[in-house]
Amino acid sequence: MSHAHGTRVQEFIGDPVSDAPPVGREKLEEIFQDIQADLRFDHELNGCLNCGICTATCPSAHYYDYSPREIVQLLWTENLEGIYDAMQEKIWACAQCYTCAARCPFGNSPGGLVMLMREVAIKHGMESARNVLRPFSRVMLKLISTGNQLSPDMISKDGFPDWGPNISKVDAPLATLRKAIPVPTLHTTKTAWEVNLKTSVELYTIWEETGVLESLKTIDQNLFDVITDIMDEKRDEWDEFLEDQEDEDED
Amino acid sequence: MTTPYDKQPGERFTGHGAEWKDANLSRSDAVTATVWVEQIINKRSMLTNKERVEDVRDAMWQLEKEGEIVVHRVADEHKPVIAKTLYGWDKKIPTTRLWHHKSCGQCGNIPGYPASLLWLMNRMDIEYLDETDQTSCTAWNYHGSGIGNIESLAAVFLRNFHQAYVSAKAQGLPESYYYPLVHCGTSFGNYKEVRGYLIQSAKLRERVRKILGKLGRLVDGKLLIPEEVVHYSEWLHVMRKQVANLQEIDCSQVRATIHPACHVYKMVPEDVIYDQEVLDGNRVAVSTGLIQSLGAQVIDYSTWYDCCGFGFRHIISEREFTRSFAIDRKLRVAVEEARADVMIGHDTGCITTLDKNQWIGGAAGKPVQLPVLADAQFAALVCGAHPYKIVQSHWHASATETLMEKLGIDWQAKKAEFEAYLKDVAEGRGENLYDPRRMITSGPGYKRIGRQA
Repeated sequence: MSHAHGTRVQEFIGDPVSDAPPVGREKLEEIFQDIQADLRFDHELNGCLNCGICTATCPSAHYYDYSPREIVQLLWTENLEGIYDAMQEKIWACAQCYTCAARCPFGNSPGGLVMLMREVAIKHGMESARNVLRPFSRVMLKLISTGNQLSPDMISKDGFPDWGPNISKVDAPLATLRKAIPVPTLHTTKTAWEVNLKTSVELYTIWEETGVLESLKTIDQNLFDVITDIMDEKRDEWDEFLEDQEDEDED
Repeated sequence: MTTPYDKQPGERFTGHGAEWKDANLSRSDAVTATVWVEQIINKRSMLTNKERVEDVRDAMWQLEKEGEIVVHRVADEHKPVIAKTLYGWDKKIPTTRLWHHKSCGQCGNIPGYPASLLWLMNRMDIEYLDETDQTSCTAWNYHGSGIGNIESLAAVFLRNFHQAYVSAKAQGLPESYYYPLVHCGTSFGNYKEVRGYLIQSAKLRERVRKILGKLGRLVDGKLLIPEEVVHYSEWLHVMRKQVANLQEIDCSQVRATIHPACHVYKMVPEDVIYDQEVLDGNRVAVSTGLIQSLGAQVIDYSTWYDCCGFGFRHIISEREFTRSFAIDRKLRVAVEEARADVMIGHDTGCITTLDKNQWIGGAAGKPVQLPVLADAQFAALVCGAHPYKIVQSHWHASATETLMEKLGIDWQAKKAEFEAYLKDVAEGRGENLYDPRRMITSGPGYKRIGRQA
């Protein structure tokens, strides 16, 4: 990217009402530069007149101390401490609906900018990211190991007591109910659909090559260990299949 | 002249602070005071008053001309229908030879959603492939957790779409035979956004080309980019009159509210279908056009543009937000303001959120009961699909039974039929919409069979 060399805000202020030790200027700059360095940054931040249309229409602003206008302003004015502060909690309030982006007269995407900040929060192993993502680990396990994000066995009365008694209105074993779906790929309980072995192996390469596994390791070492074990098993299975194929071809 | 400061000496904050006072406007005066807002937000112009809007497809064709990419075309064989998008641009919607790109949330949680779509396609003799060689778009996890990045999203997109391109070879048919049809709204929004970045950024293309090369997923050494990213609701929209021809059940007494999905029409809004025949072209046309074609009454409501409250992460770990928003901003408005019999959606997360978050309202003194279905399910239902075998309504927590009663469907008898059918299923005699042998196109379990299967 063209920028990522320092910022317009040069004076170090610190947080006057917090007992926490101030975060070093170097760290703040590193975080901001990581956000700026993403190729999407320039596309998603074009200017801001503080009109507040984004916040007026934001669902999360109804319920949280969160304002997409504030996020845009912090990034636009390069307020390093404010950006760091917002990354401790506020960015996780965004519901990612992109109503803000659809309506912004400048074509900004506050929701998109929030995603860049979330990625960087994970990259820097921020405690806020660890805490916020802990309940999300099951989805991450499912996704990274199978390529599916949700599976039938994840939806249970115990897991979602607030969804009421009707997880299924027909009382039968889950496996039978799934086989009663007239779509053969869906006759599964542990994944949303049957996933081809080759597909999983290809997906693991994508995770490795794009740094996703590294991010996961930063944020949750245990989950990383579990997932890499699963990946090794599936790769062995795939290698065995290929060897069998070769044997068959030779015969 | 007095100001709020004069009334509150020393108080400099205005707005909804302690000094705020109700204007006590009559209902009609309140409407007069706010109508100008509604006149703007309910119009398509709310989304079109931007500068610097470009059609990325222009750059896409240029890249292909320069030998940088290969474009997977919507060809004549896919029998495309042209639809108009937000700025009046053409979008080619393929109507046959479709590769189903499934949704993990639909398949895991609302299986009647894809089953209804495939059932409708069978009724119309549409050629398709539903196979196991595909991942989800991974964007639910990405938007929820931040695990992932533009490169991983782009690589997943290109891998899945490349598989769609080559999938027919497993049946002895040529490459590009099938065209991908995306089921999930989140995937649809994400893929369109990622396609845009791939077209705009040589750096991203270079990085991802290396990965796709390792996977053997390049075409002549180049990235394969789809001419159009097509959502199933767009297919239903252009096929809505053919769907209506199959209709067996009158639904003219049904008051339907539509929930347009954020990732369908707010992400990359310039690629979304608007149709002069549907609400004068002021709203996204998909679902509304279909439901109108089927003869149901589409009822407007003031929070139509709001999200459902899904939030990606929120539905898992901030459920107070999700259910509060779903109940207060969507469901109660649809029931109390529009007196709706059903809410129709076209995306996975929305259907889940709105369907599952009703029962808990009772705990907060906000009981609400509103059947929630996907457009494909509603269409299948009124075209005579079995409410349990095909529409799989038993997975819905909301009171779909009240809708069925309004449609004159004896759901108790149908449910009993389905329960009896489960015995056949348990004994391995379940019915399928296509030959299961077609679903594996490579690797363990693959057997080459003809497409007639």
